[in-house]
Formats: sequence, structure tokens, C-alpha cells
Amino acid sequence: MIAELVSGIVYSSIILLTPLLLAGIAELLVEKSGLLNLSIEATMLMGAFTAFMVAYYTQDLLLATITAGVAGIIMCLLFALLTVFLSLDQMVIGLAMNILTIGMTSYLYRASFGWYVSPVPPHIKETIRPIEIPVLSDIPLIGEIVFHQIPHTYLAFLLVPLVWWFLFKTRLGLKTRAIGEDPQVADYLGINVNLIRFYILIFEGFIVGVAGSTLSIAYYNMFLDNMTQGRGYIAIALVILARWNPLLLLPASFLFSFIDAAQLRIQASGVIPFPYQFSLMLPYLLTIIVLIIAGRKVKGPAALAKPFKKVR
Amino acid sequence: MAIGIAFLVGSAILLLAGVNPLVAYYWLFYGAFSATSLVETFVRATPLLLIGLGLAISFTARIWNIGAEGQFYIGATITAVLGLYTQSLPQPFTFFLLLAAAGVSGAAWALPPAILRAHYGINEIITTLMLNYIAIYTVSYLLHNPFRDPVSSFPETSTLPEQIWIPILVPGTRFHMGILLAFFTVPVIYFILRRTAFSMKLEILGSGRKTAEYAGINVTRLIIQSMLISGFLAGVAGGIEVLGIQHKMRLEISPSISPYGYTAIAVALLGYLNPVLIAATSIFLGGIINGSMTMHRMANVPVGMAGIIQAIMIIFIMLGYYLEEKFATKLLERLKQ
Repeated sequence: MIAELVSGIVYSSIILLTPLLLAGIAELLVEKSGLLNLSIEATMLMGAFTAFMVAYYTQDLLLATITAGVAGIIMCLLFALLTVFLSLDQMVIGLAMNILTIGMTSYLYRASFGWYVSPVPPHIKETIRPIEIPVLSDIPLIGEIVFHQIPHTYLAFLLVPLVWWFLFKTRLGLKTRAIGEDPQVADYLGINVNLIRFYILIFEGFIVGVAGSTLSIAYYNMFLDNMTQGRGYIAIALVILARWNPLLLLPASFLFSFIDAAQLRIQASGVIPFPYQFSLMLPYLLTIIVLIIAGRKVKGPAALAKPFKKVR
Repeated sequence: MAIGIAFLVGSAILLLAGVNPLVAYYWLFYGAFSATSLVETFVRATPLLLIGLGLAISFTARIWNIGAEGQFYIGATITAVLGLYTQSLPQPFTFFLLLAAAGVSGAAWALPPAILRAHYGINEIITTLMLNYIAIYTVSYLLHNPFRDPVSSFPETSTLPEQIWIPILVPGTRFHMGILLAFFTVPVIYFILRRTAFSMKLEILGSGRKTAEYAGINVTRLIIQSMLISGFLAGVAGGIEVLGIQHKMRLEISPSISPYGYTAIAVALLGYLNPVLIAATSIFLGGIINGSMTMHRMANVPVGMAGIIQAIMIIFIMLGYYLEEKFATKLLERLKQ
């Protein structure tokens, strides 16, 4: 009974974790290169929107996921243009892009489906289904929980060691860390700071766009205004909790999602009655607690969020 | 310039949706700045102005308080709840008491992120944003349960007694005294941001924490002060909205197409953190909010347009900063030669 309850909670926490981990691991890499991209909230929302639209009109979920990634790349290209190549303030541009995207997606959604609120909002019939990994999914308990998930989840789990390997075992990763600490010195050493940041942002765009698609075509079958609900910001907080270490990001985001899943279960079971509003606000409260515990006096990449201008 | 580009991009988006941009913009401006709608534009501009002025102070120090939406909600709720118990007190004492309570509660909501930022260097953008969600869910709980008007079918408080409403100045409209009060705040903030040592400190902090520490500024105190001022004004904005317009607390007190707390960020940035320009921008964006609703009703344009126009303007104004700087340095180089 207890084992069943726990495995149920673990299962739903992996579902909650997927978009956060995907966005978090991409953002971690970007922050390592010295950029703070607040617009991943916008990128994720754009991904969710694009995925839904493509899935709605073509019924092709793979195509929808990939276009969501491409839409994410376009968002990050805009961010790259403004903050990397024009050295504008990353915070302000990030915020402006978030406002832009909330307006843009809700506008385009209504422009496509009409502005009256119909009783049944447009939805897709098929959503992305969990895939069982052969052999591994036969492991009792763990197999059912971990290896019976949507492909996005496996992508997220796969990216964790990959990003770690890239950052700490490759030359390009070393350069990335160097420009995140001191772009000026890296520049003197002949590293093309802007180019590396540009490539990393393209990667982030794709991954975060795909993370957004999990919301609209896997876990829900529709698009809702501002449906990311601050998940991009939560992912940034989780990067801080993980102290910019890819290998710590997995347990950090798992812990976060586990607490959220557990409280949702308690709320739904009605054993301990508390108002649903408190249940809804818990992830945000948890994010602040995470920052209080983990964010004190930790040093991120030294050049984080500082505009870099090439001195000639 | 930025406004022009924002409208050009806007027309492209309108064309994509199959709407004639000229017709749409006609209704946008009709709804915003025609003689009959001008008062409503000022009604919208008032919270934007007050919040924007507060944000100008914290943004000058490059302290990014994104939590004005939550601070506004908390200030408004406190006013609506306290207002039910203060009807026997004399005016204008009640008015100032309630606004002070609104401001203090708004500031209190800004205090935790301020402390976290000042003492521990925790990113205030994330904490203030998270507190917005927490504030709105808390208010939602309060309006559904303890403070719900038992007669109403909506989650809202009971209507406040008429004697504590802010008096209307132009009969037949919603133009109340609070609107004037908000615009009288402009010179006060202008003075603070232009003529005091405090503003100097804010600017030094804005150029870097290390610089400010070398200059002997108490950085932690300054960060907390600037956040508290912006929280206070956001709370007051909530109080004025309740006492002057809504006369009760509703969950939809902030327009969902362009929430006051977030739009005010655009107001402050588009106004170059200058109080006079902020006043102008708040009227302009207040008009855009109303206009986009008119545009929605009359030309069938979805309401998200208001957000799109704002954000594009911010981005192009930022680009403007960049180009100005570029030209300035080029000019300097020329002069040197």
C-alpha cells in the first residue's frame, strides 16, 4: 500500500520534472557561458503554443515537437541578437520578451480559433504517449516508474550526463566555462566569445522549445494562455539549487517535483484538508525556499548577466 | 521612433490575422484618446503611473522588482478588508489611514525579496515573480473564503460604504481625486530622483555593487529602501484602485490582458526611468489597454495586441540606447582626431 503510494508519487514527480529538467539543463549551460536568459519562460511558452498549433492542424506529434524546438530557436536567436551581439541588458530584454510572448501567443491563439470562448476549447485527440524501454521496463517497480515515460523525459535524463561531459571533458566546454568566468581574458586568448554563446543559445532554444511542447501536447491536450506559469523562472532557481553542476540538477529538480507531487496527492486524497489555492502556490513558495537554502552566498559564473563588449 | 516601429510590426501581425490595420488602429485610438474615452484612459493610467514611479526608483539602482503585481494585489485587498471596519471614522482621516495601510502592506510584501537580495544576493527577479503567484493565490483564497461577500455570486468582498469612496471630481465619469493625487506624486518622485543624495546613491549602486561599496554607501540598506519604496507605491496604487474605482476587492482587479504590475515595468522602462516621461507613458499605455479592448469589440482584434505593442516598443527603445551609445562613441572618436 505504502509502496504503491510512493511509486505513484514518484511517477507523477517524474512527469512534473520533465519540462523543468529540460529547461534547467539548457539554462545551466547558457549560464555557464555567462548569460542569464530570463526569456526561457517565453521560449517555453512559444514551444507549447507552436507544438499545439502544429499538432492541431497536422496531427503529427513528432513534427509538432520538432517545430516547437525550431520556434524555441527563433526565440533564442532574438535573445542572442539583442544581448550577445548588441550587448543590451539581459534582464530587461528577457522581461520584454516574456511580455511579448504572452501577448503574442494569446493573440495568435485567438486569431486562429476565434475570440469567443467556446465551451470546449480546441484540443488535440492524440497526445504523446509514454514509451516503454524494452528489458529495462521489466524491472519490478523502478521499471514501471522510470522506463515508462514520454520520450522527452528520456531526452532530459540523457542530457544531464551529456552536458556534464561537454562542460568538463571537452575543449569547447572548457572555453565555455572560461567565457562565463572572464570573457575579457578569454577574448585575449583568442576565444570567440560571442560565437560560442550564440551556438549555446541555439541549443537552448531547441531544448526549451521541446520542454514547452511537453505541456501542450503530452501532459495536456490543449493550449492555455500563459500556460508555462513561471516554469522558466523555476528552472532558473533549480539551476542555482544545483550550484551550476549538471549532475546535481537531476536530484535538485527531482526533490522539487517530488514535494510538489506529494502535496498534490495529499490535496487530492483529502486526508489533510487544505484549500486548493495553497496547493497551487506551493511550487512558487518552494522555489523561494530553494533559493533561501541554496542561493545564499553561492558564486555562480563570475561574468553571469554582465554584458560583454569586445574591446578593439 | 520605437512607437512607430511597434505599430508597423503590429500592422504586419494584424494583416496576418486578416484585419485591416487602419480600421483596427482607428478603433484603438478612438478607444484610447477620444473625448469620451479620455477619462477612462486616466483611470487606467493611475495605477500604472504610481507603480511605474516606484519601479523607477528601484530600477535606477538596477534592482529589478518584478513583484509589483503581487504588491498591488496585497495593498488592494488590505484596503478593501480594512475599509469595511473603518466607516465610523472621520474623513479624510480614513482615506489616508487606508492608503497608508495599503502602502505598508505592499512594502511588507516586497520586504522578503529585498532582504534576500540585500543580505544574501539572491536574484530578486525570481523571488518577486514567485511572490506574485503566491499573492494572487492568497488573495484568491481570502476572496473565496473568509472575506467573501455572502450575497455575491463572485469571489469578491462586500462593497465598501459610500462615505469612504474617493470623491468623484467630474460628475458622470469615474474621474476621482485619487487620479490627481497620483499625478501630484510625479513632482515628488522627480525631486527625489533628481535633487537628492538618495538618487545619487541609487545611481552609483546601479553602476555596480562594488563601486557603491567603495563609495562608502550602505548597500544592503539602500537595496531594501529602494524595494520598500516601490512596494509601498504599488500597494498605494492598489488602495486607490479599490477606493476610487472598484469599491471592493475582486480577483480581476488587474486587467488580464495587460496586468498593471507587469505593464508598469514597461511604463518605467519606456519612460527612461524619468518621472515626467513615466507620466506620459502611463497615459499612453493606459490608452493602449482601453483601446485594444475597443479594437477587440469593434474590429474583432484579439486583445493580446496590447502586450505585443508594449514589448516591441521596449525592445526598440533598448536598441535606441545601443545606437545612441554607438553614435556617441563614434562622435567622441571623431572629435579626438
